[in-house]
Amino acid sequence: MTDTTTVTIVTTRERLSGVVQSVGRRPSDIPRRWWESALVFGLFTLGYAWFGHWLISDMHVVGFETLDRFNRALMVWHNDPPKLSAVGFDYPPLTILLISPLTIFSGLASSLLVVPLASAVFAAFTMVVFNTMMRRAQVLAPVRVVALVALGLNPLVVLYAASGARHFMWMAFVVAALGALFAWYVTADIRFVMIAGLAFAVAALCGYSSLLWFVVSAIMVGAILARLGADGTEIEGTTVGFAAPTVYVVALWTAFNLLLVFKPFNWITASSDAASSGGLEAFTAVELLEYTGRLVLYGAPIAIVVLPALIFAGVARRNSFALWLAVILFLSIIVPAVSVALKLTDSPMIMRNALPILLFSMIGAIWLARSAGDGASLVSALLVAGLIASIPWTFQAMKTYKYQGLESTFAAAVSTRQSQEGATTPDGSTVGYVSEQAMAQWITDNVTLKNSILTDNAQTAAVILLTGDPALFFDRVDKSDGPWLDAAKNPDKYVDYLLLSTNSDNDLLSEYYAEDIDGGNPLLTEAYRTDRYVLLWVPAGFRPGEETLDPGASVDSGLDTETDEVSP
Amino acid sequence: MTISGTTSGTTSVTRTTVRLTDGIDEELRHLIPEGICRTFRVMPYALADGQVLVAAADADDSITAHVVAERIDRPVVLIRHTVNEIVAAIDETYPPVEAEVETPEARRARMQMAQMLTRSGLVTSEQLQRAMLEYSRTGDPLGDILVAHEAMSEDVLVAALSEIFQMQRVGLADFEPDLDVARRLPEPLALRLQAIPVAVTEEAVLVAVARPLADDDAALVEQTLGGPFRQLLANRSDLDQLIQRVHSLHYSEVSTQALMESRPESSAHVVVSPAQKAVLVLAIVAVVICGVVWPINTLIGIVSVCSFIYLVVSIYKFRLTLRALGTHLETDVTDEEIAALDERQLPVYTILVPLYKEAGIVPRLVRDINALDYPQTRLDVKLLCEEDDDETIDKIKSLNLPPHFHLVVVPDSQPKTKPKACNYGLQLATGKYCVIFDAEDRPDPDQLKKALIAFQHVPANVVCVQAKLNHFNQDQNMLTAWFANEYSMHFELVLPAMGAAESPIPLGGTSNHFVTSTLRELGAWDPFNVTEDADLGIRLHREGYRTAMIDSTTLEEANSQVGNWIRQRSRWNKGYIQTWLVHMRNPVHLLAQTGLRGFISFNLTMGSAFVLLMNPVFWFLTTLYILTRWGFIEQLFPGIVFYAASALLFIGNFIFVYLNVAGSLQRGEFGITRTALLSPLYWGLMSWAAWKGFIQLFTNPFYWEKTEHGLDEGSS
Repeated sequence: MTDTTTVTIVTTRERLSGVVQSVGRRPSDIPRRWWESALVFGLFTLGYAWFGHWLISDMHVVGFETLDRFNRALMVWHNDPPKLSAVGFDYPPLTILLISPLTIFSGLASSLLVVPLASAVFAAFTMVVFNTMMRRAQVLAPVRVVALVALGLNPLVVLYAASGARHFMWMAFVVAALGALFAWYVTADIRFVMIAGLAFAVAALCGYSSLLWFVVSAIMVGAILARLGADGTEIEGTTVGFAAPTVYVVALWTAFNLLLVFKPFNWITASSDAASSGGLEAFTAVELLEYTGRLVLYGAPIAIVVLPALIFAGVARRNSFALWLAVILFLSIIVPAVSVALKLTDSPMIMRNALPILLFSMIGAIWLARSAGDGASLVSALLVAGLIASIPWTFQAMKTYKYQGLESTFAAAVSTRQSQEGATTPDGSTVGYVSEQAMAQWITDNVTLKNSILTDNAQTAAVILLTGDPALFFDRVDKSDGPWLDAAKNPDKYVDYLLLSTNSDNDLLSEYYAEDIDGGNPLLTEAYRTDRYVLLWVPAGFRPGEETLDPGASVDSGLDTETDEVSP
Repeated sequence: MTISGTTSGTTSVTRTTVRLTDGIDEELRHLIPEGICRTFRVMPYALADGQVLVAAADADDSITAHVVAERIDRPVVLIRHTVNEIVAAIDETYPPVEAEVETPEARRARMQMAQMLTRSGLVTSEQLQRAMLEYSRTGDPLGDILVAHEAMSEDVLVAALSEIFQMQRVGLADFEPDLDVARRLPEPLALRLQAIPVAVTEEAVLVAVARPLADDDAALVEQTLGGPFRQLLANRSDLDQLIQRVHSLHYSEVSTQALMESRPESSAHVVVSPAQKAVLVLAIVAVVICGVVWPINTLIGIVSVCSFIYLVVSIYKFRLTLRALGTHLETDVTDEEIAALDERQLPVYTILVPLYKEAGIVPRLVRDINALDYPQTRLDVKLLCEEDDDETIDKIKSLNLPPHFHLVVVPDSQPKTKPKACNYGLQLATGKYCVIFDAEDRPDPDQLKKALIAFQHVPANVVCVQAKLNHFNQDQNMLTAWFANEYSMHFELVLPAMGAAESPIPLGGTSNHFVTSTLRELGAWDPFNVTEDADLGIRLHREGYRTAMIDSTTLEEANSQVGNWIRQRSRWNKGYIQTWLVHMRNPVHLLAQTGLRGFISFNLTMGSAFVLLMNPVFWFLTTLYILTRWGFIEQLFPGIVFYAASALLFIGNFIFVYLNVAGSLQRGEFGITRTALLSPLYWGLMSWAAWKGFIQLFTNPFYWEKTEHGLDEGSS
């Protein structure tokens, strides 16, 4: 039966009369100032890159994880053949893909010149977003400049902005998303919801914890629209527009995991962010509370003022956005403790957790300034004062804070201006890369045959990166783990060398040849050795565990190799 | 003070202590618009006891009292004054512009007409009041207004005019013209003057006219005919039909051959030029030879080229949409500007409506066109029907439409396409501007005025203003929702950005407003091109003209049935390739005319048709690889090609899905954002249609796949 309901035709004007957001037109907003944004971006990028170069090249303060990601990015272009699968599942994929353009020229990557840039550009982008946010909040230009400089000089910010770490990647996009929602709330322009949605999608693949802020924001978008009187269709459509990008990237990444490793949620369980070895020390509730307090007090002290102020503005003045920012800030404060309580992390209450708290506090303070009306200048001044006071305060705390990564080394480098090569971090890691550099140099000087060095790139990534030529190595990325294990069992058929780390933890090849690392098998001649690595020459006919050569064996790599001669 | 009567809350008074000659209160002076003041001879001038005193020449006239009361939101008292007093006050308030002020003769004729019609009961006072109000705004003849409003028939008006002007009438409804006589007045003159010789007597030629000719025009006719003539008043619709019948052969030839003869290089009557054929054959031979000698490398090369086309088309569209999301790119027209338009200055606007086997839609079409905020007396609506479509023709005739609707019957000839019908109608167009609407279109009521103002805002080389298109039945089913998503992206984001960038714009099928004279100069639409709109947009650009977008929407009926949709879409894709082939006959000339940016933009825009052809191939390869991990497929995508293809697959596809969402959000169509997420399924249908169109390009290039309208639920 045909439905004979008459279609009601409404004109564009009638159709939009009940819409609470601004659609199809641009509402009044701050004028665009590309030059100002470019200036902020350029200055901060240059500043952090310059400082980062000093920090990494002169002070040798750089994380192993950073070098590992750069090595993977290098493999994307320079492996033989180039391998997109080098991205792997250990890190959120965009933390590698977004820095891959920096490794197109292998020389720049192997010299580590571009490493600071990887974090500097994202930190600078964050500063641009803050600057725009402050402009939208009518913060005066001189105050904006001082606030940006004060935030930019915060030692925690400097460390993560200059050392090539990945944390500013996801933070930059989360801050951009929150900045877009800030603009949406101010202007009602729907395109900001879309921008926020896209920014959250990128953030989600840069750092999985972004998903938490995404969920909270999605709820906020719906709630604010409902409060403004939007009908169900508008709320649904807007929320779909906001959430679609993030839902898509999560679904896509899940599908990839399903297709490639048959575990759809491998990206969460295998992630270096979420994986827990179960060896976490136990914390009581009181301890969690205490460490949460320390984290805020030392890492982001302005949150102590901003959070109550936001709650007050939200409740007393019915300021929905302030209330939502309070929720965001509160969650950022309790998330480290909750992760520990739920045993979701191996890195309890680590100091870098203060970074999101600091940045969210900054957003909260800017909103408070905007909401203060005549008191905007006072609030801005307080923010600047708080940020300036935080610089020495946090710097001192970095030296002694119990749970941390490179903070104390960074503080020592800045204080003493002496290389931190060989220094030990509070968690027991050794700082520096001289050992890797020496091994890489020997390989560069002596090995030219592709795929001739068998190694577990999960542990020897820094060496591979510093050679600038991953094609020399037969690693777990080349043909996945199956063929690599075959090669590990019959190395003479495939390669000429074994590159082992002297610490066999997490190095599958070192575990396999644990007894040979220190010369246990006379057939495996030591080609070169450093403190942390050893390169063993594999003779033809070599069989693991046997002390005589198989006379009938011949080298057959089974791989695409060039005819260059081996020069051991 | 003597109260002589009350009407509609208005009191009329003959004597009061305050008179117009005592001065006019400045706050009241402009309470009533000039047109109404002059038409009804009224002028507000003072306040007394909370009442507005309005001087009126005929204080007892109920229509005057009603009109005044409607314009003033306070109690009103009509005070009788002399005509001279009131006219002097009006002239003081609104200094007269010579050409706009009604002459005493014209006023006498109008009053005579009004009295004749009301006294004889042919129109009611309400109808007369409405017509008088429109007259006060437009200054158009009262009789024409009444006929346009269907308050009375054209025949009655002709009878009244013949009485007033003491002229004989002639009935032309069933008249069989002597073509030799009828063609004694050349077609352009006949059309312009709405006059046609119908008979010859010993004394004079009898010429049927729609209205008495002005002296200059009469002299011109006499000179052309070479002797005296006598005017006979005729029904305008009948006269129009007669002119069409007399000159149909000429119109038909021009509509089919004008472009083909004047600019053969721009006509799609030849699908592939000899040079293009040679290049195509050489390319195929080269690929085959390479394929035999280096099979894998050749395949890699083909995949690389396809991926590159994909990449650049995607980047181009993404860039356009981003730009449109960032700023407001349409030509702005404010409500205030529309309200301030002086309707007396409005030009005649031609609306071309091609119809084919759409009898059922005609009543709705008439209703929607009458709903446009534009004086009907200044509309020239051409309902373009094919000769063999008796049903639609009969339906239009049965409606006895007022004369601003013109039935145009296009003689049966090949190619039987919409552009040919439009060309036919364009020759009869009397408007300074013209626009095409489809039969089922519902334009925003203020669209004509917006376009008109937009033409005033834009540079002189902008001769086309494109309004946005979208759908009124988007909620009917998934297909209509997808269609609306696609249109939202295209018209809200892509076209405004192209317009702002001054790129060649492939015009939308309807709602494109043209400067009529320029359109004619350009040769109008190519009757052999099945996307004549897109082709015309490019031709405009090549000639140095530009297209602007306005923020006004025409709602169309989205195809709700897959088969029907495929037919429509296959035609579009065929037409896009046709258009590309036509304009790429001489790429160097195209480059010289459009500049590098325009050239690239044109190729990337048309390239989307090729992308749709490639889609199924790549989808198949991807699926096959996922299922089989076949190494051969891996070989086809080495290094950088693989990265580009992956980026397009995972990022590019999503971006396009999201741009559909963005277009809908930008338009405020929140109800269809979720369907946009499933648009890859829609792309499947698009590729199906693209292949159908591509094959048809070789098998039946000029065949017009007709879209059936009226399939929306509730079509009425």
